Amino acid sequence: MQKTRSSAMWYDDLLKQLRSHDWLSLIGRYAVALVLIAFAVAPALWVVSSSLNPAKSLGSGSLWPKHPSLVNYDELFNNDFFPYTTWLKNSLKIASISTAGTVTITCLAGYALSRFRFKGRRQFMIAILILNVFPSILGMVAIYTSIQQLGLYISAVGLDTHGSLILIYVAGSMGINVLMVKAYIDTIPVELDESALVDGASPWQTFRHIIFPIMRPIVITIGVLTFIAAYGDFVIARVLLKSSNQLTVMVGLLLFQTDRFDQDFGMITAGAVIAAIPIILIYIPLQRYVIDGLTAGSVKG
Amino acid sequence: MNQSSPQLSRLSYVINLGVVGVMLVAMMRVILMMMADGLYPLASALSAITVFLALVYLRRRFTPVRWFGIGIALALLFTLYPILFTLYLSVTNMGSGHLMTKPQAVDQLESQLYLPEGGQTYGWTAYESPGGNYALWLLPEEGPGLLAIPGQSIEAVTVGERGVGELDDDGIPESIEGYERLPVNRTVAIIPALGAIDFGKAPNTVRIRSLREAAELKQKYRYDDGQDAIVDEETGTLFKPLKGTFTSVEGEELTPGYIVYVGIKHFDHFIGNARFREPLFKIFGWNVAFAFWSVFLSFAVGLMVTLLFEGLPGSRLIRALLIIPWPIPVLISILIWRNMLNPDLGFVAPALESIFGSSPAWFQDAAWTRIGLIMVNVWLSYPYFYVISAGAIRSIPHEIYDAAVVDGAGHWNKFYHITLPLLLRILMPLLIASFTFNFNNFNVIYIFNFGRPPMPDTIVPMGQTDILISFVYRLAFINTNVTNYGLAAAITVMLFFLISMMVVFQVRFTNLFREAE
Repeated sequence: MQKTRSSAMWYDDLLKQLRSHDWLSLIGRYAVALVLIAFAVAPALWVVSSSLNPAKSLGSGSLWPKHPSLVNYDELFNNDFFPYTTWLKNSLKIASISTAGTVTITCLAGYALSRFRFKGRRQFMIAILILNVFPSILGMVAIYTSIQQLGLYISAVGLDTHGSLILIYVAGSMGINVLMVKAYIDTIPVELDESALVDGASPWQTFRHIIFPIMRPIVITIGVLTFIAAYGDFVIARVLLKSSNQLTVMVGLLLFQTDRFDQDFGMITAGAVIAAIPIILIYIPLQRYVIDGLTAGSVKG
Repeated sequence: MNQSSPQLSRLSYVINLGVVGVMLVAMMRVILMMMADGLYPLASALSAITVFLALVYLRRRFTPVRWFGIGIALALLFTLYPILFTLYLSVTNMGSGHLMTKPQAVDQLESQLYLPEGGQTYGWTAYESPGGNYALWLLPEEGPGLLAIPGQSIEAVTVGERGVGELDDDGIPESIEGYERLPVNRTVAIIPALGAIDFGKAPNTVRIRSLREAAELKQKYRYDDGQDAIVDEETGTLFKPLKGTFTSVEGEELTPGYIVYVGIKHFDHFIGNARFREPLFKIFGWNVAFAFWSVFLSFAVGLMVTLLFEGLPGSRLIRALLIIPWPIPVLISILIWRNMLNPDLGFVAPALESIFGSSPAWFQDAAWTRIGLIMVNVWLSYPYFYVISAGAIRSIPHEIYDAAVVDGAGHWNKFYHITLPLLLRILMPLLIASFTFNFNNFNVIYIFNFGRPPMPDTIVPMGQTDILISFVYRLAFINTNVTNYGLAAAITVMLFFLISMMVVFQVRFTNLFREAE
């Protein structure tokens, strides 16, 4: 707290200096701000405006349609070419199940790594870190071919199934996420566990009734990050899913784009807007958790 | 735990034993089937994971690991195994025409049938069930009629058996229960469909050959264990294994081929074949440039947002607007940019034309595609750099600046000599991590323009804006006729190597392993 305030004072000093300089710098900074804002906002604004433009194929060139209407949205959900509603449901289903699985696995693993001492514990965590440095995208050829082979014997996790996708997303949670949860539990006093154990609770009861309830912030962070990642994933879903009814909304949108780009441009933009909404809805109230998660470890000192 | 009664813990042990036992049996079955099909890598991985799980959930010693045994099993199968399997693939010929193991290929060849010229022939009559299934009544030259239904053995049937009704003058049943006899004109119309059906049960099946004749099919290929070769039963030709394909002396090849070890052939491609090596180096060069400029410019813009608007009236609003790109899913953002820059749809081309009189060919010209890619990537990632640099600046103690002010340093000097070096020190691990991430940023490259425009005159298709990972994708997934998993895996192995070097570099700047303490 002290530190924040003092750095704020430092900023004030810097600002006084800057302000005292001249008007030009102030105008210059606003000009830069305007250019950057235009750069940042234009795509979002443009996609919304195009989705409201009833003219089917041609962009009007203007930033706002003359006769806005929802006809593109209506068509999006009632067209004969693409099962957009199914795609959206698939994405929400896959992301939700992956999130539930990830939260379960990381919480249990984090608790065990934080509270129990066993042989190989440190080596295990180092192994996690090492495996984690290779982006999962590098495995795409191997994952595709193995899932194809696996599917010959266990059809629920073969190609074109949601099962395989969910397992891969959940498996990805055994990376940095586990260490984040472990680090969080490390900050919870061990005395809490010990008093519960003295009262005769089993380790499981201690975790379930004492520790898990106070893990809310980290559970939300992990949950939100997993949901956003699973919902937004493109590559693995693109590689593993084939039939139109199985696709996620991200893969579907690209298919949309490549197949019917000329005919139904308005519909594509409407699809993009709708597909972005779940993430924005999650992001706005929980932004703090996303930022905590993504910057974990960056500003420790 | 100490208080729990012995009976209870024995009960839980028995339950554990039961669950593990069921898992063991199920996994053993799968693993044995895989072994029989020659899928040794996957079978070994599953065996190792099964043994691990059985140990963890049965031996008391491993109780703490039970909390995350399933997690480890998943990570082994979907994180570690793909890395090892990539190494394996990189020394095989797996790709189009060689997608199966040898036992699988033999199985598939042995299931192929042919219509022998000589063999047993029949006259036939077709019947159709309401569900659209067909049955045949077969009449041999001599002897009783036979009923042939797909998937059931062909047998001689007398009236009354299996629902066969009275025979007409030609010895053909008027009716078969569950089926309707088709008149000749209807039969003619569906001959193409009927001709594709194998009636009966392998290895004795019958297929129709013409309107009058159906004939017994025979197995075309047989695998001879002793000679390790495939025999063509129709012609007597012998096909011997040659580089993953059963090949005859005349050079005729059987499909499918199968997966074999090819050594460092793919790696030799990079080094030995200039027509491959040179474009690959171009891809690599662009890959490095793309990652570097993406990180550099995103960081610059992010830092600018942090520093430039500090204390400016309205800065909160400015920053709120500037962070807008962040929550939009990446794929959607890139699609929007792609359409926005499209000359026919977006507003960018008309706008640029009205100012400069012309607008760049974002998707046809390699240089402009590259500029577009970096611009889109900066748009996607500067909010992240803004957030982390704002956090890092807060952690710089202000006392450091006091001394500088005493020495009369201006704000530019303070930025250049104090803020920037300290920030770089704090953020270097993240900058390197971000470089690694962008080095493999498949999404931006692929979704924006699929790595196009294509490079002219290359032995395998390559794009001028491809990076290594999108080239891997191209080799493996774009054109299924020339899929080359082996080569794709070999390039991936190279990527693993490059990334390992980046990580070693990163470890020097950070206590990556501190978290494991």
